[in-house]
Amino acid sequence: MFGYIMPEKPELKIKEFDMYRAYYCGVCKSIGRRHGQIKRMTLTYDAAFLALLLCSILNVETKVKKERCMVHPTKKSFVIYNEIIDYSSDINIILAYNNIIDKWKDDKSKIALVGLVGLKRAYKKLHSKYSTKCDIINRRLEELSILEKNNCDSMDAAAEPFAKLMEEVLDYEKLDDNTRQILRWMGYNLGKWIYLIDAFDDLEDDIKNSSYNPLLSHFKYNGNDVCEFKDNIKEQVEFTLLYCLGEASKAFQLLAAKENKEILENILYIGMLSKTDKILCQRSCVKGEKSI
Amino acid sequence: MKNPYEVLGIKEGASEEEIKRAYRELVKKYHPDQYQDNPLSKLAEEKLREVNEAYEYLTGKGNGAKATSGWNGRNASYSPNQSTSSYGSGGSDSFAQVRMYINNGNILQAESLLETISIKNAEWFYLRGLIFMKKGWYNEASMNIKQAVNMDPTNFEYRNTLNRMNSSNNMYRGNASYRGYNSSPSFCDMCTFLWCSDTMCECCGGDLISCC
Repeated sequence: MFGYIMPEKPELKIKEFDMYRAYYCGVCKSIGRRHGQIKRMTLTYDAAFLALLLCSILNVETKVKKERCMVHPTKKSFVIYNEIIDYSSDINIILAYNNIIDKWKDDKSKIALVGLVGLKRAYKKLHSKYSTKCDIINRRLEELSILEKNNCDSMDAAAEPFAKLMEEVLDYEKLDDNTRQILRWMGYNLGKWIYLIDAFDDLEDDIKNSSYNPLLSHFKYNGNDVCEFKDNIKEQVEFTLLYCLGEASKAFQLLAAKENKEILENILYIGMLSKTDKILCQRSCVKGEKSI
Repeated sequence: MKNPYEVLGIKEGASEEEIKRAYRELVKKYHPDQYQDNPLSKLAEEKLREVNEAYEYLTGKGNGAKATSGWNGRNASYSPNQSTSSYGSGGSDSFAQVRMYINNGNILQAESLLETISIKNAEWFYLRGLIFMKKGWYNEASMNIKQAVNMDPTNFEYRNTLNRMNSSNNMYRGNASYRGYNSSPSFCDMCTFLWCSDTMCECCGGDLISCC
């Protein structure tokens, strides 16, 4: 479900792209340093976005270094070090762990089990550090699995727990109340968008495996052609998706974002919109994005 | 007071033209119209006030006051309270109460009160739509408001809200294309956009394309 929040690379300036990558690499290295190298595999674009967003509104002491990395040993690139990067890497691990638990419950696959065992210790440590946040995230995921079990037939209701989860993810305690309120609304809408775009993206698979999908239940799928079904529901789903993005970007406008505003705007206004268009229209949607 | 240059997002010593341009952009951005159905509307109002103050400070009282009062005048006409008093008078006391809760951001209370009302008329569906809107349940919101419009097609308020919801998405898309994103056939989009604007103008009593 993660990894949909990413920039539209062709619309970034080269210096902006370098900066984005510095954050992305920063989170990746922070995971390796603080939780173990192998866990760097769980890195998502969402964590890089979180780091960019919070760094843009908080004044934190930041170090920039030019380093090599295991994945790309030939070239040196910029890497950012600060406390927000560390926070984002923690959140990345918490979400990855919950995601894998979810997978394990779904299909009991061996890969999920390996991941689960690997992440368990790191997660336990983080759980004691962010106990309230972890508990809320757990509760939301429980709510979600209950809704899924009961075959919830309203897409708004089904998306609610995940939206509330992202609300918690974006909320950073050290900020003032107003900013936190804005971040929570932004998180809510981003979460809703992620949940629904993922549901639309998974339609074919879920039909094949006859698993739960909020859109199949909401629009009462009766076994006819998938493409036809998609065409029929597209407009209505698009309405909600775009509305979420609109609200998230309105919330963003109210934040006093200073650094990297252009990159964040690129993600919110172009990257996520083009993702929406691609998934809704299935226009040459390349699955499994590569790391940058 | 915050540094007015910072508030307007310009360099210190910017020319009058630059100040004006930045001011106009920001007023458009934080205009109450944009945040009418948004739970952050109070914060947007505050932001607009800051922008007004900064502009006033930089351009000198006289000039600024004129601009401010102009915008304040518009603010007033868009404030949620006023629209309530002008439209809500026809409804029963409970509906008025629900509206009050919605305006104060007390969504839970608005919701539970609305559920107790047994008359399911157009206004009931409209208010239910507004509540869903504030909760972020956009699909339910648009369904309920559409229902209200169908039940009472002559009601200007219901229709207006529905139009606003639709134009919000166009606005978001517009913002992306302004930044260089183009999806596909732009000519077709342009026609639709013109047609939409024309319809919206006509809704408000004006006209954009006089021949149709």
